[in-house]
Amino acid sequence: MTRVLMPLAVLEGESVAYGLMDLLGTMDVTVLGCHVLPEQTPADQAREQYEERAVSGLEDTAEEFRKAGGAADYRLVFTHDRQQSVERVADEVDARAYAINGATGDVERLLVPLSGDVAVDRILEFVTELVGDRDIAITLFLASESDDADDLLQRSAQRLRDDGIDVTTERVVSDRPFETLIEAVPNHDAVVVGEAAPSLSQFLLGDESERLAAASVGPVLVVRRETAGDGAEE
Amino acid sequence: MSEAPSGQNIEGETPSAEPVVETDEATVTENAELERTLGLSGGLAIGIGTMIGAGIFVFPGLAAGRAGPAAALSFTIGAVIALLVALPTSELATAMPKSGGGYYFISRGLGALAGSVVGLSLWLGLVFATAFYLVGFGYYAVDALGFLGVAVGESLVIPIALLFGAGFTLLNVTGTENAAKLQNGIVALLLSILVVFLGFGILDAVGLVGEPTTPERFAPYGTFPILTTAALVFTSYLGFAQVATVAGEMKDPGRNLPLAMVGSVVIVGVLYVVTIFVATSAVGSNALSLAGETAMVDVGRELLGPAGGFAIILGGLLATMSSANASILSTSRAVYAVSKDALLPGRASRINLKYGTPHVALGMAGGPILLLTATGRVEVLAEVASFLHLVAYGLICVALLALRRDEPEWYDPDFRVPGYPVVPIVGGVASFALILFMQPLSQVLGFLIMLGSAGWYFYYARDVKLKGAL
Repeated sequence: MTRVLMPLAVLEGESVAYGLMDLLGTMDVTVLGCHVLPEQTPADQAREQYEERAVSGLEDTAEEFRKAGGAADYRLVFTHDRQQSVERVADEVDARAYAINGATGDVERLLVPLSGDVAVDRILEFVTELVGDRDIAITLFLASESDDADDLLQRSAQRLRDDGIDVTTERVVSDRPFETLIEAVPNHDAVVVGEAAPSLSQFLLGDESERLAAASVGPVLVVRRETAGDGAEE
Repeated sequence: MSEAPSGQNIEGETPSAEPVVETDEATVTENAELERTLGLSGGLAIGIGTMIGAGIFVFPGLAAGRAGPAAALSFTIGAVIALLVALPTSELATAMPKSGGGYYFISRGLGALAGSVVGLSLWLGLVFATAFYLVGFGYYAVDALGFLGVAVGESLVIPIALLFGAGFTLLNVTGTENAAKLQNGIVALLLSILVVFLGFGILDAVGLVGEPTTPERFAPYGTFPILTTAALVFTSYLGFAQVATVAGEMKDPGRNLPLAMVGSVVIVGVLYVVTIFVATSAVGSNALSLAGETAMVDVGRELLGPAGGFAIILGGLLATMSSANASILSTSRAVYAVSKDALLPGRASRINLKYGTPHVALGMAGGPILLLTATGRVEVLAEVASFLHLVAYGLICVALLALRRDEPEWYDPDFRVPGYPVVPIVGGVASFALILFMQPLSQVLGFLIMLGSAGWYFYYARDVKLKGAL
């Protein structure tokens, strides 16, 4: 099954929203307990003090994920650099996507933006598997000024419909894709986005999916870019 | 795998250790992973950032007063010794890429008694070094105020040093975000100031620009002062071992640790020697000596006018500040490494729930630092710091020789010392020998601290066994 990485600040009492846990029921999940330390604190020193508590929290969370459906395990990392740790573990467990936690109830409708330079095939493949035979509707969203946009949107919608998924499309002509996406978030319970290539704006403004999660309140699933290991096992 | 550390201290605490697997990216324990997040540039910034404050901004005046232009030779001697120790330290660090640095290598290579003496004296050695940097900072702060038209006189040096010492400790307890990035930036800025300044100074010294100056005798006071000066200024080379204290946090340690340690010694060594050459050429060693701790400001003024003086004041403030701050952090790591092995109470490594910082260890750094800063004895502070480090350096070389002789099964360093066994033998002998050239007060203080450390071991943790226990 496809694996999703669920980073969780378990020591700060963060817990996975019920709706997100349910949504990920069709996936294998690796819960990543991630404790970010100030530079003054050696990672090993924090481990000695917090390991036990973190492990018990992670065991509980993994157990809940198992009840929700897929296989689940956990990893615990003490780090000074959250992004680096998430990337490394995602590579090691070969996760197709990682989840950004957010509040939601039952998931009935997903927003799936295809704007920008993202791997559309990988996103659609992931969405198909995530929805499975459940009654979850999809809004495919595309903000672009390009003429090819409608074509891409219709082709993508058709692909999902062929798998029996209820799809609506939303096309916006705009040069501000991020802002229009935020406006489209209400009425959706969660968002599935493709990981964008590293860019200047990402460097200046922070990661787009993190900003999206902050602006939309709900959970965000980020489908990772293709990594070197992917080809071999498929 | 080797045997585990054993025994317990007087309070019944045992050394905490569990089997780990080291990869290039993380340390993997049974239940958790400890991410390695420092790259080569981060390691170099720690090494250079710790060292550069003293050698360039505090010592030139003091050193030139003792040895004349030959002070450049004293700095060269220091650099060679540092290099001879940095190489064995690199080998040990790649074999045991753990936080704790010199203490860790010695306790595992030579046993708990030597480990305790070194661990506790490194802690106090860092305390002395930090106090020294803070006093240097105080001198620059007073000069900076003077530059701004507030003449306060040298009576404020110590109060300012104390104020900032307390400030840095507090800042570290409450958690400074992005301190490492700031540190990298400061080091980069310092290096650029120095390259411009020294580049111009070299042109001036060889007579291409500026007023011609009359050359003076290279070693007006003879050869012995060159050696005592080398012993004094060795404090300028203590930082490379601080890189080893964060060995557990370095990515790809087999490559980055040796590069960061050897690289930072070579870079600062070259800068120091050029600085002394430029400084003695520009204003002469007599004038340097009279200007004392902030003599470099006069050199800057002489070479580049008021702007040059200002650049050096700014550089001096930043450099002594970054040295002090980096050393406070290293001190708290040194305390942690020792308390983890039950040689100090386990309480010392508690982490503050509110800030996530090791507040007890930081307090055990900050408290004594302020006490020593209050003495204001620059030369004694520097020499005792060097004394305690040199003992550790000598023992690091001995530990390397001991480990190589037995080559336990777990000993598999990525980096091996070139020129074995000559390099560690010469490095060790030179480290111990340099101690002989210090002033008697420093030697007595250093010796008492070591004696006290050994006494503490016999009182507190006699049963703890660490030799060969990874």
